[in-house]
Amino acid sequence: MSSAIAALTDAFEDPSTRHGGTTDHARPVAVSSWPTVPIEIVRAAGLRPVVMRGSAASTPLADERLEVDVFPNRLRQLVEASLAGRNRHAACVVLPRTSDPDYKAFLYLRELIRRKVMPHQRVLLFDLLQSNGPDVRAYDAARTRDLFETLVTLGHRSASVDDLRDAIARANLARAAMRRLLALRRGVPRVSGAEVLPLLGAFWRLAPDDYAAFANEAADLLAQRTPLDTPRVLLAGAPVDGTALHAAIESHGAVVVAEPGPWGSDAPGEDVSLDGDPFTAVAERYRRNAIGQRTPTVAVQQRMRHLADDVEAVVVSLPPDDTAFGWDYPALRAWLEAKQLPHACLYHDPAVPLGAADHERLATLIAAARPRVGAPHG
Amino acid sequence: MADKQLEATRAATAFQKAWFGELRRRVFDERQPYAIVQADVPFELFDLLDVPAVSNQWWAALIAARRQAPAYLDAMRADGLHDGLCRYCSLGYASTRYGAVQELPWGGLPTPRLLCARLTCDCIQHVFALWAQALGTELFEIDHPGASDLPVRWWELGRHEWRSLVEPHRLSFVVATLERLVERLEAISGRRLDRDALRRRLELVNLQEEIFDAVRRLIATAPEAPVRMTEQITNVMATQWVRGSGWAVAHARAFHDEVQRRVDAGVAACPGERARLMWVGAGLWHDTDFYTDFEESHRAVFVWSMYLAFGPDGYIRYGLEDPMAALASRTAGFNEYLHSPPWAAEWIVEQARDHRIDGALVLRPRSMKPAATGRLFIERALEDAGIPVLPIEADVVDARAWDPAATRAAVRTFLDTRVMT
Repeated sequence: MSSAIAALTDAFEDPSTRHGGTTDHARPVAVSSWPTVPIEIVRAAGLRPVVMRGSAASTPLADERLEVDVFPNRLRQLVEASLAGRNRHAACVVLPRTSDPDYKAFLYLRELIRRKVMPHQRVLLFDLLQSNGPDVRAYDAARTRDLFETLVTLGHRSASVDDLRDAIARANLARAAMRRLLALRRGVPRVSGAEVLPLLGAFWRLAPDDYAAFANEAADLLAQRTPLDTPRVLLAGAPVDGTALHAAIESHGAVVVAEPGPWGSDAPGEDVSLDGDPFTAVAERYRRNAIGQRTPTVAVQQRMRHLADDVEAVVVSLPPDDTAFGWDYPALRAWLEAKQLPHACLYHDPAVPLGAADHERLATLIAAARPRVGAPHG
Repeated sequence: MADKQLEATRAATAFQKAWFGELRRRVFDERQPYAIVQADVPFELFDLLDVPAVSNQWWAALIAARRQAPAYLDAMRADGLHDGLCRYCSLGYASTRYGAVQELPWGGLPTPRLLCARLTCDCIQHVFALWAQALGTELFEIDHPGASDLPVRWWELGRHEWRSLVEPHRLSFVVATLERLVERLEAISGRRLDRDALRRRLELVNLQEEIFDAVRRLIATAPEAPVRMTEQITNVMATQWVRGSGWAVAHARAFHDEVQRRVDAGVAACPGERARLMWVGAGLWHDTDFYTDFEESHRAVFVWSMYLAFGPDGYIRYGLEDPMAALASRTAGFNEYLHSPPWAAEWIVEQARDHRIDGALVLRPRSMKPAATGRLFIERALEDAGIPVLPIEADVVDARAWDPAATRAAVRTFLDTRVMT
């Protein structure tokens, strides 16, 4: 493995709050639960973002406090880390309003602190709304500015709008590098989903300059690889934040080439505009690009259909905590059937290993997709 | 179904059926617009602009109570909607989407002119978007900003200090959204909202809830509960859907007076009452007999649910110089007070103490994710306050996995071993 690929993978895999790359290791940490807390805001305020992910690790402390099948794995891990004191060195924990479980986890953590179940820690809500009402944009911009001002206080430094513009420009450059990695998944892919997802997801961990350098180097290396001539799969449904499902699908001789959500195909999204008020620009970009439980139905449908444009099979992940993506499934199924695209649904926590029955279904699906490789369809 | 003990309950049921019949007549015969809305939207605006509003939850409860839910729920499952998706808020949608599977109660819902929902939990926006698509109807969304300031004893602030309950930016946002809703309703009805009429309506809502507060006090302080929880719900909810109307206030008074007469005469819902129970969560609409089934065996009576208690504590707003802001302050925090820490647990413990509760049954809803949150905090807080808790795993509209005999046996054991020891 090249050093760039290893550095990106390490940054993605590290479950602690340690990993900061070479440029900003000393910065205070802002732990967040999902990549809809703008890294530009966090970095401009002088903090280092660490976005928690789901994992197969047990969560005994969180399980005593969180209801079953309501909170996704990543939130169970975050609450577990907070209760176990692993987030105690962080300057704050920031939960975005982009899903109801995130909002509830914010309320729970505040209550656990009030009841002295865990030590005092600054727990913040980033109240980013996602509906399309005319009052939403101004509201989101104001909440983004408020988050910036709060984080600046926590970072114990002065920061200006110019710092934010600088952070935007740097993150945009990192996004450009990320798009090069994504391009290697299109058409005939040159990299597996399980390998590339960490390279994309490291964006949420590393300083943008570090990330851009590593991602560009990784893209140069991967572009030299032999194309993968296997069935291409879209991992649709609820966004995943790890590689377990990718690895399971790819163990049957397929390659995952797309998945919705900020850890995968939607990670770069649009650049944040450098024109006009930067708080409005950041809020608008994150509102429009957030694919999650509160994303409007039409936007979810458009995104899924777009990602399914150039694949031979689709796996739909609908974990037990799903309250949103399952509603689109009948329409998605009809659309896939019309395109004669085979698909299979998985209903388990994507962070934990699949059972034998699910593996068998994947094997059947990939076998059905194999004759379609190279053939025009749709 | 248990006999109704109060004349007011029979009147409330008759009113609802007549109201719905009149709605159908107006919609079909006079082509008047109406709306289907979530239970937590401000019904007052719809009523004042002459766009009658039907509560989605009421409609779901009606379908469930008539044991018609399983056919729709089976149809949802057959269509690939997984069992983890909320059934309570989507049963109405299912009755439209899969309408062919059976005949609907009371002739069914006519096509509405508008759907309106607060985007509280994540599923609402998806359910209502699909419903609007199936009906070919417009959807108006009231987004739900999150709360960061958390005054614990919210019920002590709501009446007079309601501005301090909701952060200014949230209040402004909800006011702006309600103003847009008014514009939409005005366009539909061709009428203008009279702000003085809104103020007067909210004053009448206050009056109605003050009357319910007096009923709550009677129930809490009478030697034995004078009215069953199920009859409280029927009387309260029939009025809440048309709150502040002439009928609602008059009915609230009639309900109060009948309860007062029963207290004065020493008439109890369950004479010889030995245990007072509270139900935490939405009602088990498919098996309401559950709530009276422990009266004969244990003299155990359900005396409390959120439905009566939340009216006085959640709705009353004094200081109506800006009626839209007052209305928005109530709308903004509804779900948090009922389901989220710290608000729900603190309030429910206070209510349990006020009502001399001996044991609490806490709903663990199977598919209602938002209603499921906060439950563990509530259970702990009640137990810490010395009130035994029995969690009840159930879906409020889905009877398919409900085992009435086993659950009743569990309650009897709970009463024998933890409540009446």
